[in-house]
Amino acid sequence: MSSAGKYVWTALLVAVAAHFAAIYATPRALMAVAFERLSSGGANAWHMSDRVTPLSRNIVRPSPDFAYSACAYDLARGPISIRVAPWHQYWSLSFYAANSDNYFVIDDREAHNGVEIVLVRRRTEPDIAGRVVQSPSTRGIALIRRLAPTGQEYDRAREASRGDVCSVLSQ
Amino acid sequence: MLRRVLAWAAAIIAGIILGAASAWATLEIAGASFAQRYGAWTHNRAAGSTAAGPYTRAIIAKEGLLALSSREALYFNLAEDQDGRALSEACIYELSGREPAARWWSVTLYADDGFLAQNNDHAHSVDASHVSADQGGLWRVRVAPVRGDAVYWLSSRSAGRDFSLMLRVYNPQRDFRASAETLPELTRLSCAGRGL
Repeated sequence: MSSAGKYVWTALLVAVAAHFAAIYATPRALMAVAFERLSSGGANAWHMSDRVTPLSRNIVRPSPDFAYSACAYDLARGPISIRVAPWHQYWSLSFYAANSDNYFVIDDREAHNGVEIVLVRRRTEPDIAGRVVQSPSTRGIALIRRLAPTGQEYDRAREASRGDVCSVLSQ
Repeated sequence: MLRRVLAWAAAIIAGIILGAASAWATLEIAGASFAQRYGAWTHNRAAGSTAAGPYTRAIIAKEGLLALSSREALYFNLAEDQDGRALSEACIYELSGREPAARWWSVTLYADDGFLAQNNDHAHSVDASHVSADQGGLWRVRVAPVRGDAVYWLSSRSAGRDFSLMLRVYNPQRDFRASAETLPELTRLSCAGRGL
């Protein structure tokens, strides 16, 4: 191999590796940024977003028809207790892993009266009663969407959200 | 010796730049090829799914982080008119369609940066609870920088060029079938200074 050839081959091999690394890292990096933004007021707690306006810049393509509450969760300190208070229109609770996968979702059709969930990292956590969901990653994001297309509905959703819980499970 | 070290370093740096650029190009330009097309609408069924491959996952995360899985909601994106032209604030469009077989739907206008257009018209979105169909079962929404005499309006004021529309279909029924015929249709009516 000529001396120039080995540099070219090296550059190409590095390029292939860098390409796949960038593709692999993109959703994780974007989730990490979202996690940091959504946990600025503290992890393991619900933070309800202000009503979506042109000034909303946290997450791309926000829907102005929804009242969003997000909890950036960290299971390093143990299971997390999640509770969603009921809402009279469509609502859903969804969990996102560190790689951005939406690995769990439940809505008002299945849980008309709200829902209580214990989020765990491993199924082996002992003595947990109730509905248990396993997170594929230690960190992730829980999101509540409440349909609230008007300012009045948004204010009602804010009232309802006072009944939501996202906190480390007291054992 | 120094020349050789510099040559290796240059090869590695060039490789990293090439790899990162090709990844960026894949996500930026080829993103559309990972989506299904229904007329001018694009849709990625793998949105939010745990089965999404690394490319789809990266594109979804970049285009719509924290999207719901297709069981819960379907997202359709429209970035061009009936002639394949990019959407522009300088033009007036009509979006018309029928009620989708779903519990709830909405259409939201986003500027080219993926956020709501910087205007205070409070007309960024229309949704199932506020739009009524006419006797023929068709609803019509004007997409324009000013409302004019439109009953339903999506404001494109300050949206500039290359804005897009996103249709959200929540809790689609089993018989919901996306197609160019069942999804809303966008028609360019006129453009400032040059008619059609």
